[in-house]
Amino acid sequence: MKSYSKIAYLAALMCVSLPASEALSQAPTGKVTVVTSFSKDVTDPFKKAFEKAYPGTTLEVQNRNTNAGVKFVEETKSNNQVDLFWASAPDAFEVLKGKGLLQKITITATGIPEKVGSFPINDPQGFYYGFAASGYGIMWNDRYVKANKLPEPKEWSDLAKAPYFDHVSISAPSRSGTTHLTIETILQGEGWDKGWRTVKELGGNFRTVTDRSFGVPEAVNSGQVGYGIVIDFFAFSGQASGFPVKFVYPTVTTLVPANVAVITNAPNKTAAAAFVNYLLSPAGQEVLLEPGISRLPVNPAVYAKAPPSLPNPFTDKSLGAQVKFDVNISEKRTNPVDTLFDQLITFQLDGLKAATKAVHDAEAALAKKDNAQARGLIKEARDLIAAMPITAAEAESPEITGAFTGAKEKGARQAELEQKWAAFAKERYAQAKTKAEEALKLAR
Amino acid sequence: MALAIARPLGRLLASPGQAALAGVIALFLLLFLVVPVTTVIYVAFTEKGTGVFTLINFVDFFRTDLFVNAFWNSIYVSTATVLVASIFALPLAYITTRFSFRGAVLIQTLGFLPLIMPPFAGAVAMQLLFGRNGSVNLLLDDWFGFKIGLMEGLNGVVFVQAVHYFPFILVNLSAALRNIDRSMEEAAQNLGCSGFRLFRRVVFPLALPGYVAGASLVFVKVFDDLATPLLLNVKDMLAPQAYLRVTSIGIADPMGYVIAVVLIVVSVLAMWASTLTLSSKDYATVQRGGGGLAKRTLRPWESAVAYCVVGLILALVLAPHLGLLLLSFATVWSFSPLPDAYTFAHYARVFGDSSVYIKNTLVYASLAALIDVLIGGAIAYLILRTKLIGRQGLDWAASAALAVPGVVLGIGYLRTFYDVPMPDGRPLATFWMMIVLALAIRRLPYALRACHAALEQISVSLEEAAENLGATKMRTVRRVVVPLMTGGILAGFISSFATAAVELSATLMLVQSNSDAPLAYGLYVLMQSPAGRGPGAALGVIAVILVAICTFLSHVVIERSQRAKGALH
Amino acid sequence: MSQTVISPSLRATAAGVRVENVNLAYGSNPVLKNVSVEIEPGEFFAFLGPSGSGKTTLLRLIAGFNKADSGTVFVGGKDITDLPPWKRDVGMVFQSYALWPHMTVQRNVAFGLEERKVPRAEIKARVAKALDLVGLGHLADRRPSQLSGGQQQRVAVARTVVVQPKVLLLDEPLSNLDAKMRVQVRRELRDLQQRLGLTTIFVTHDQEEANTICDRIAVMSDGVIQQVGSPMELYEHPANLFVANFLGSANILDGSVLTEGAARAFQLTGGIRFPIPASASVPTDAKLVFRPQDASIGSTAGGGGNALSGVVMHREFLGSVVRYAVRIGDSDIIVDAPFRSGDALYEPGASITVRISLESALWLSS
Repeated sequence: MKSYSKIAYLAALMCVSLPASEALSQAPTGKVTVVTSFSKDVTDPFKKAFEKAYPGTTLEVQNRNTNAGVKFVEETKSNNQVDLFWASAPDAFEVLKGKGLLQKITITATGIPEKVGSFPINDPQGFYYGFAASGYGIMWNDRYVKANKLPEPKEWSDLAKAPYFDHVSISAPSRSGTTHLTIETILQGEGWDKGWRTVKELGGNFRTVTDRSFGVPEAVNSGQVGYGIVIDFFAFSGQASGFPVKFVYPTVTTLVPANVAVITNAPNKTAAAAFVNYLLSPAGQEVLLEPGISRLPVNPAVYAKAPPSLPNPFTDKSLGAQVKFDVNISEKRTNPVDTLFDQLITFQLDGLKAATKAVHDAEAALAKKDNAQARGLIKEARDLIAAMPITAAEAESPEITGAFTGAKEKGARQAELEQKWAAFAKERYAQAKTKAEEALKLAR
Repeated sequence: MALAIARPLGRLLASPGQAALAGVIALFLLLFLVVPVTTVIYVAFTEKGTGVFTLINFVDFFRTDLFVNAFWNSIYVSTATVLVASIFALPLAYITTRFSFRGAVLIQTLGFLPLIMPPFAGAVAMQLLFGRNGSVNLLLDDWFGFKIGLMEGLNGVVFVQAVHYFPFILVNLSAALRNIDRSMEEAAQNLGCSGFRLFRRVVFPLALPGYVAGASLVFVKVFDDLATPLLLNVKDMLAPQAYLRVTSIGIADPMGYVIAVVLIVVSVLAMWASTLTLSSKDYATVQRGGGGLAKRTLRPWESAVAYCVVGLILALVLAPHLGLLLLSFATVWSFSPLPDAYTFAHYARVFGDSSVYIKNTLVYASLAALIDVLIGGAIAYLILRTKLIGRQGLDWAASAALAVPGVVLGIGYLRTFYDVPMPDGRPLATFWMMIVLALAIRRLPYALRACHAALEQISVSLEEAAENLGATKMRTVRRVVVPLMTGGILAGFISSFATAAVELSATLMLVQSNSDAPLAYGLYVLMQSPAGRGPGAALGVIAVILVAICTFLSHVVIERSQRAKGALH
Repeated sequence: MSQTVISPSLRATAAGVRVENVNLAYGSNPVLKNVSVEIEPGEFFAFLGPSGSGKTTLLRLIAGFNKADSGTVFVGGKDITDLPPWKRDVGMVFQSYALWPHMTVQRNVAFGLEERKVPRAEIKARVAKALDLVGLGHLADRRPSQLSGGQQQRVAVARTVVVQPKVLLLDEPLSNLDAKMRVQVRRELRDLQQRLGLTTIFVTHDQEEANTICDRIAVMSDGVIQQVGSPMELYEHPANLFVANFLGSANILDGSVLTEGAARAFQLTGGIRFPIPASASVPTDAKLVFRPQDASIGSTAGGGGNALSGVVMHREFLGSVVRYAVRIGDSDIIVDAPFRSGDALYEPGASITVRISLESALWLSS
């Protein structure tokens, strides 16, 4: 199609025009196929900018949710047609890395620090690279909150309070890698038992547990739910689109990078590497500042051009710095934690909410007229709600984790564990409800 | 030969041609349904770790409260949905087919629209109208201080599913009603029967094949549907459980596939039960040369009542589309009965991108629907007109497709066809025709049910007459059977086409590039961000209008052919 | 059909039917033009006419399935013009029988009684009687599709008469039966009607059917009742050419009426002239009509008077009668000659003379 001279001309042009260009033994051209979970609002500006920076390339975007994307890459590895994987959740990249589906490339971009908050930006082994940071927080619909005369939250624990009952939404950690990180952050920050107590106290106020990450901001944007536990850019881009939503980072939060990686046997490795380096270059980092994207760049220098509303995690040390996040622990117990959340909260939401409501009611009554015996009962009820079927050590043990990975050794099957845990929670929530109701009677 | 002629048509085992046809269809189903699905769900029958065959996973299924609960919830929701959907569909079908009623074609088209609810965008629109803080509830709360849980819990699922799927009953029942000879009704009137009793005692029982075809589709579809329960955050049903498990990564859990097997088994059983209720009776009511179809006229007050009923039902079932339309013009719509302001910008944004999506959608959906009516019609013919051994197997296999989650089919296609290279070296699974085939397989049951019901109502003697006059089997099918089945075939085509046009789950796995992507994919991509909500709705409106136009044209064709038949008398 | 004694429970009080000045058009196409007819209680009456004559439309009008643009229908002296079909108490047996395939024979027959809220026990008894009446008691549990055409027809009749309608309407009830069944069933129908004493209207295009079982016949053509009368009256004294031609065979010869003082004569187009008997009433545009048996055939000798010369074209031997087709001038006529054993027959091609018995000849206009 194209004459050689034209390509040579373009290559020469790029050598001149790209400040941090690598030694261009091969100029990147042709189609780069990227599987991504990012919406069109994110991918379109990058596609435009990248194709402009590297004429002759086309970025072919295949939009799939993270899980489907991982499955797709896995299923098609024998005849791979995909160059890049581009998504938020670091654990998806861990899965791909674990299956040998990622390859290393040479990174030429400079000026990117090692960590954002307490989370390492890049994979220590160099298989995937963080290009933007995001933190979890609380997003709420201002109209909803005003209409229902509700307070504005600051910390996670605020959401566990009585006024928030039935107004909070979250996506299931088993469905959203970023929610998983949030839950894991709380568990690591507060310890296993205390952490789960917090999570379940939050859970008692949940309106819904959605199966898509975007389900939460969608519900908050349209006012179906008051508060959502979401990743920051959902709130920022909602604000950018004019929705009456607000957002706050609680003090216990972690900033997690969004990543990009090159797939093993990528058909167009040269151009794939060029794209990764473009993302990490100042030009690519600046694209993140577009209102429809609103993600935190990982290059601190780029914040000079950011709008004042965008927080800077490299200067604002309160952001995500309080938690020391241990990636190893997180990775080991990913499946048990997700499954516990589903079996104790997602699928037992009715029971959990009924118990929580009873506790709220009893406490409200106690505030008017104190009663020591009732106080005792409420404490028992709260302990019953918080009780966990397994300990932190058990959650990391091979007996438990093996049930989820299809490990070769004989052991408990996942379905058996699930039934056991669900029955455990169901029974205790029912007991807690009875105790709280007794307390209410005493307090009256 | 002499022997063959001496025997009645229906008693023949099968001619070589029919056997060959059955073989081709069996091969098609094997290649594009059974093999891909088996590559995925065999996990359900293997032991953890060892991979040895076992049924322990099914024991686990029945030991787990969540699944048992989900099973009964799914049964409850499906049954209740059939009832509610019937309440929507019966008046619309009866009034528009048996009476001369102005706007019957328009009503049939509008009544079909709810089936074409674009994914995601439709869900958002529905929440904005009927959700806890949707327009209806905000107004109710404002005026009367209470809210209705239209979209809460299992009954919320029933409501939304009934609105969404009642067209299946409408379409199939209408086709059946059109086939009832006028003298059947007149004989009852003559004996003193009228009004609702006439409908209940004579008209409805005669239309039962069509009704059962529609109702069984609704039952199975609702039983296997995961989008609506997930939209309403109801997770203790079987299909959502299967979906959540199959698509959660990092978990080598067979239970998702176990549930998929349970879904398939229940769906096939339901289809089988529906054919059983009809098999003992004779429904061949088409006696051309009798009265034919004559539409009765309504007295003024009757027609006023009829318009009110039709108007109310349409207003209810089309509300989601109204919501979608509003959403597509809305700047911001949040916690308020109506959007803050209106704009055309969303249409401007999708206008450039959408032409390729529209073209792909039309090509994929019409090809898939064509394949469906060809195969569906052929299977119906083999079942009802031959004694071929194993013909029921074709029926069951095709019906099972209804229960196969789209994701499972998509993964199955990747596993089966990704290693098969095309002449240019690219994998076969990346060929756009694979999307068409996946859509065809997923929508085959719709066309099959419609063709089956249409053929069931045609008296064998009409075919015997043609054969007697020297027409071969092939020519008899072409000149007698197909023309008489036109209504049913078109009904099947429309159902397949319209629903394939907004199908997402299987295509999402198979779409390889933007240039091959259908509308539903474009919609999905847009609906992942706040800024994409309006453009997504705009694209959804375009999809609905597109499919509606095609549906309307088909209805015009049905009405014309009907008029031509009526003129015979 | 078994000769069951008719119990009072199946015997209806016969009612007459009167149709007055009915007009009906489909769009701009008139189907019934100012039709009036009166049917006596207990009468077996036929609407006879070719297809498109409006006879089925008239029947459906009485049943209430068609609405007249103008005119009135009375049953038993009561105006039923504006009643819906289900309130008319007029029983109809459909040409296609219209048996409901989803019900058994018994349920089909019980249908009308159930609609009338008759007690269950009585329904059972009356259905059994009605089925016995048509000789199908043993098939009560079958489905219609398992019955022969004749059996289906009887079920249709039983279903209609079991509700004791005031009038029974039969729409071409024999058309779906084979020739032998037709003869049998029509006798059964007549027999049943007699025993039930039911006013019955029968629509047919077959004059033989009408002649053999009906008390009176209304001959219809073009949406107009041409003549009403007993089969014999219609045959003997047809009111016009259409009736003469439609009932039995008739020879029609064109010509003109000549008046010579008091005497009148009829001159054939060929020139031959017949005297017209003084008693006969003859319209000015009349044609000469005679039945085949009202002419005799002889050898060529002796023409003149009412004798016409002609040539035998072909002949049919029918046993007691020999039927000759004869060409006279440019008209073809049929002559039936009685046959006695030993008679010689005329061969085709033979020249012969035809003598018309003018006493029985008719002069009719169209």
